[in-house]
Amino acid sequence: MSERIETIREFEYFIGPQHPGITGNFSIKLKAKGDIILEAEAHPGYLHRGFEKLMEQRHWVKNVPMVCRICVPDPDPNEVLYAMGVEELAGLEVPERAQWIRVMVLEMSRITAHLFYLGGIAGALGLYTIPQWTIGDRDYVLDRFEELTGARVYHIYTTPGGVRRDLPKGFADRMHKTLDYLEKRLKDYYRLMFDNPVFQKRTIGVGTMDPEWAMENGVTGPNLRGCGVKADVRIDDPYLVYEKIDFEVPTADGCDMFSRAIVRYRELEQSIHIIRQVLDNIPDGPFLNKPGNPMMWRVPPGDVYVRVESSKGEYGYYIVSNGGVKPYRVHVRGPSMTHGIHVIEQLLVGQRVADVSAIMFSLDICPPDIDR
Amino acid sequence: MNAIGIQIGWIIFMPILVIIMGLLYLGAARKITARVHNRYGPPIYQNIIDVIKLFSKKRATNHGVMFSLGPIMAFSGLLISLMFIPIGNKALLSFNGDIIVLLYLLVIAPLGMALGVGEGANPMGTIGIARALTLMLGYEVVLVISALSVMLYTGSASFMKIIEAQSGGVGHWFLWPLFLSALAMDMALQGVLGEKPFDQPIAPHEIASGPMVEFGGKYLGLLQLYHAVAIVVETGIMVNLFLGGGTLFWWFVKSFTVFFIALLINAVMPRFRIGQAFKFFWTYPAAISLLGLILVAILK
Repeated sequence: MSERIETIREFEYFIGPQHPGITGNFSIKLKAKGDIILEAEAHPGYLHRGFEKLMEQRHWVKNVPMVCRICVPDPDPNEVLYAMGVEELAGLEVPERAQWIRVMVLEMSRITAHLFYLGGIAGALGLYTIPQWTIGDRDYVLDRFEELTGARVYHIYTTPGGVRRDLPKGFADRMHKTLDYLEKRLKDYYRLMFDNPVFQKRTIGVGTMDPEWAMENGVTGPNLRGCGVKADVRIDDPYLVYEKIDFEVPTADGCDMFSRAIVRYRELEQSIHIIRQVLDNIPDGPFLNKPGNPMMWRVPPGDVYVRVESSKGEYGYYIVSNGGVKPYRVHVRGPSMTHGIHVIEQLLVGQRVADVSAIMFSLDICPPDIDR
Repeated sequence: MNAIGIQIGWIIFMPILVIIMGLLYLGAARKITARVHNRYGPPIYQNIIDVIKLFSKKRATNHGVMFSLGPIMAFSGLLISLMFIPIGNKALLSFNGDIIVLLYLLVIAPLGMALGVGEGANPMGTIGIARALTLMLGYEVVLVISALSVMLYTGSASFMKIIEAQSGGVGHWFLWPLFLSALAMDMALQGVLGEKPFDQPIAPHEIASGPMVEFGGKYLGLLQLYHAVAIVVETGIMVNLFLGGGTLFWWFVKSFTVFFIALLINAVMPRFRIGQAFKFFWTYPAAISLLGLILVAILK
């Protein structure tokens, strides 16, 4: 009898892949004693589509429509990274205008991803008004994407050599209007979310990680900045034209869910600031330096590692060429790989079952990027 | 003979009326929440359609006798408590002390759910029920103390007598002399109704809708009806104790107003962790209701 009670006390609890509190096709197996989690085990693999292998079987330019599918909410870092890597290998010059446009596209993508994030973490805590608002407002940014690239979610816009299209006529005005609207809405989000006493009670001091521990375990991006560490690839290793742009890197010292959320909120403001500067300072000129016939284009042998700051953390591509018409190897370093497997498994131990989904959303895990 | 006929007609008519009104409340809730969310929302009669659809479904699985009996026990327990609540100045069962009986009967419904869900043996359902019972322990105290101050004020434990004592217009409502008790009861009601920040038992992101997780088809339909009736019963307590009852029309208007306030709070609040919710009930609302009781005892 006592043995049976012992087994009942510890129970297994599955979050995902069919669960409202999971960020996509992903699963976490928990072992809990009462309400306290003893052990967490991440189970990715429901979304494996073999991107890295597929890329070896396509021509250099033909990979562009595929890389963006590696991360659904924030696709553009993939496109820009792939293009940057290939350009560096091939010695292809990128026109300055294209570089400014790429910065704008990256920041627009960051806005859409962070709006998703705010909706995700608020939804995980039961504040369903925020997801409805943010995802509704995200659509206005998607409208601008549609105008610029022709697509809403997967833009397939950045190609080796530049970008596919120039800015449409009157785009700057409409973009400014969208940003004005977003700035107004951000204040509403702040009042409803970060000023909310219940939200503060649920997030402050929950899911904390030590800054040193975070650095040792490969935490990057806003999650690391939420621990008070000022680390940002845009500043540490500037790419494109970020050196010419004035922006701040927000940090927060709480190391908890609240800090990670507020860092993202502040980054939204910074992204809006960056896009405004791009629209005002963008130089005239060509936007695409065509690499030649895509079926015959050969990239000289060599290897390269390029990285950008995505909405989730440091995103890197390691590309190897053997001088052929196709890549020899492309390796994707996604931030969700560390956040979604190693970090969360350790972060969840000792937490309560009620906080699992919120902690996972606070780390901003993107399952397709784990299973690429 | 005629009086008995009316009584029998009312017994049949009232639960149907309450079920339809409760489902319309839920539909209105979806619509109102949708407007706060910046979207259109489903039509107001959507929940009636949902229930009809759910009852037309076949039974997929059954986990045992208690699994079937649990929701029925919960629903029938709720219907019995409905008999004690005067709707439109008319209660089916009314005697001196019916408030106390009602407070006991209200516990039957969650216990029925607990038995049914326990048989399902899904850990998420079990956690949900554990949370529901913990939450109940939190708000019951506030509910009882607030009801007690009303009983002390009127010197009666009968709904009909309390409504009679409040007759004569808005100024005679117990909301004004017993404001603290009313406030505490409204806070408790947020938990009773299961609206945020106290919707831990069904928290979708945490335990995937908790108790409902194993129930499908007709069982889910029954639970929807249970939820619909529960809203009317629970807001009804507030209406009868503090807002003076009223004719059938005004009774439902008042009851919906109470529900509407809960809905607006629901729309802008995340949920507490269960421990925080319990602590909340035993601090602020409990203190306010106790203060109300002491004031009544002194002033009376």
